Amino acid sequence: ECGRIKVSAPIVRLGDPITASCIINQSCSHLGPEAQILWKLGAELQPGGRQQRLADGTQESTITLPHLNHSQALLSCCLRWGNSLQILDQAELQAGYPPATPHNLSCAMNLTTSSLICQWEPGPDTHLPTNFTLKSFKSRRGCQTQEDPITNCVPENGQSRCSIPRKHLQLYQNMSIWVQVENALGTSVSPQLCLVPMDVVKLEPPTLWALDPKTEVVPLQPGCLRLRWEPWKPGLYIEQKCELRHQPQLGETSWALVGPLPSRTLQHELCGLLPSTAYALQMRCTRWPLPGLWSNWSPSLELTTAQR
Amino acid sequence: TPLGSASSLPQSFLLKCLEQVRKIQADGAALQERLCATHKLCHPQELMLLGHSLGIPQPLLSSCSSQALQLTGCLSQLHSGLLLYQGLLQALAGISPELAPTLDMLQLDVTDFATNIWQQMEDLGVAPAVQPTHGPMPTFASAFQRRAGGVLVASNLQRFLELAYRGLRYLAEP
Repeated sequence: ECGRIKVSAPIVRLGDPITASCIINQSCSHLGPEAQILWKLGAELQPGGRQQRLADGTQESTITLPHLNHSQALLSCCLRWGNSLQILDQAELQAGYPPATPHNLSCAMNLTTSSLICQWEPGPDTHLPTNFTLKSFKSRRGCQTQEDPITNCVPENGQSRCSIPRKHLQLYQNMSIWVQVENALGTSVSPQLCLVPMDVVKLEPPTLWALDPKTEVVPLQPGCLRLRWEPWKPGLYIEQKCELRHQPQLGETSWALVGPLPSRTLQHELCGLLPSTAYALQMRCTRWPLPGLWSNWSPSLELTTAQR
Repeated sequence: TPLGSASSLPQSFLLKCLEQVRKIQADGAALQERLCATHKLCHPQELMLLGHSLGIPQPLLSSCSSQALQLTGCLSQLHSGLLLYQGLLQALAGISPELAPTLDMLQLDVTDFATNIWQQMEDLGVAPAVQPTHGPMPTFASAFQRRAGGVLVASNLQRFLELAYRGLRYLAEP
């Protein structure tokens, strides 16, 4: 081994100084007594190396780079040998930031996958390998006391969301959830969320249907239309309330809201609309009276009101 | 409020219990449907003889009936019954690869419901010092016995839940 680099720290904060030393062994015998050690950062020579001969006859050069502004860089210890610059050793330098506090942590219970899906804002890029972990524990009232810990949820590469599977959940009990993030420069944790999985259940929207005009006993009044809807099947066991919104398809009229409505009806008549006008209708539902999250709005159902 | 009266129970607890019963009923129906579709075991009446020989226990729910409703007794019987079904469902493990996910979900939901009831009993101060266990379980010695047992346990569970639902609804009435 001709030469060997040592660095003060392989990873530093972006812009911080970094000090390195390179020792040239006497075993590099074909070198002249006063061989000059040179430093390169990437492809650029770096001035400012301080060289000295040690008691045991080896040569040592020390250099301080005042500001490491590359998140990754190769520092080379070299010797001039004839007309060439010989690389004797290299060190991989990394620079970045400690992890910021993750924020905006939110969770929703997904009944399709029967899992609790949480997402968060990771904060600025640290330029370093950074690990996020969604941590949680089961608890009782208000998450003051910690009961059973829950298996950590490690998001798939680079994602800011994680899915806690059903077998780790007690759907009707409090649990405390937070995000922990770590890299070589530090650790950070998000504020804790205290929730009951079923209280953040997010349903899928209901399905809207037009009614077959041929089966209508009572003719529609002008400016009225009829529809029916059915709740999302996996959520049938959940008591819900829904709301309907409608807007004329043409023009810039904003949505008008109708609610609360039951989660299922065989026939609903909507009146007071413009006659002979095409309307877009959408619906969403939420668990109720127990807490829950609103579903997304359903795809639009297009219906035309009866003419005058 | 006197401990025995329903008003000592939070309304949200009762609403959650009703929701959990409906959820478990849906899980149970899914298991029954799959047992019928996959293994052609559709009618518990055809398995009565086998049921007797297996000795599948059925829990009491007498304290939850509207005629003799007794809150502490009802919660206690409900909890014990759910523990019993937890044990029976565990004993059915290995029922068949196709049914395993459905059975797992049913078991998780029954366990959740039992925990919910137990914690409410603790909050009311009526929980015994030591949480009861479900006692000895029948042995389902073959794949067929596990499937037949599944049909019988699911059917018994639906009846148990129906009684529980009525009792809880009665308790939830203002």
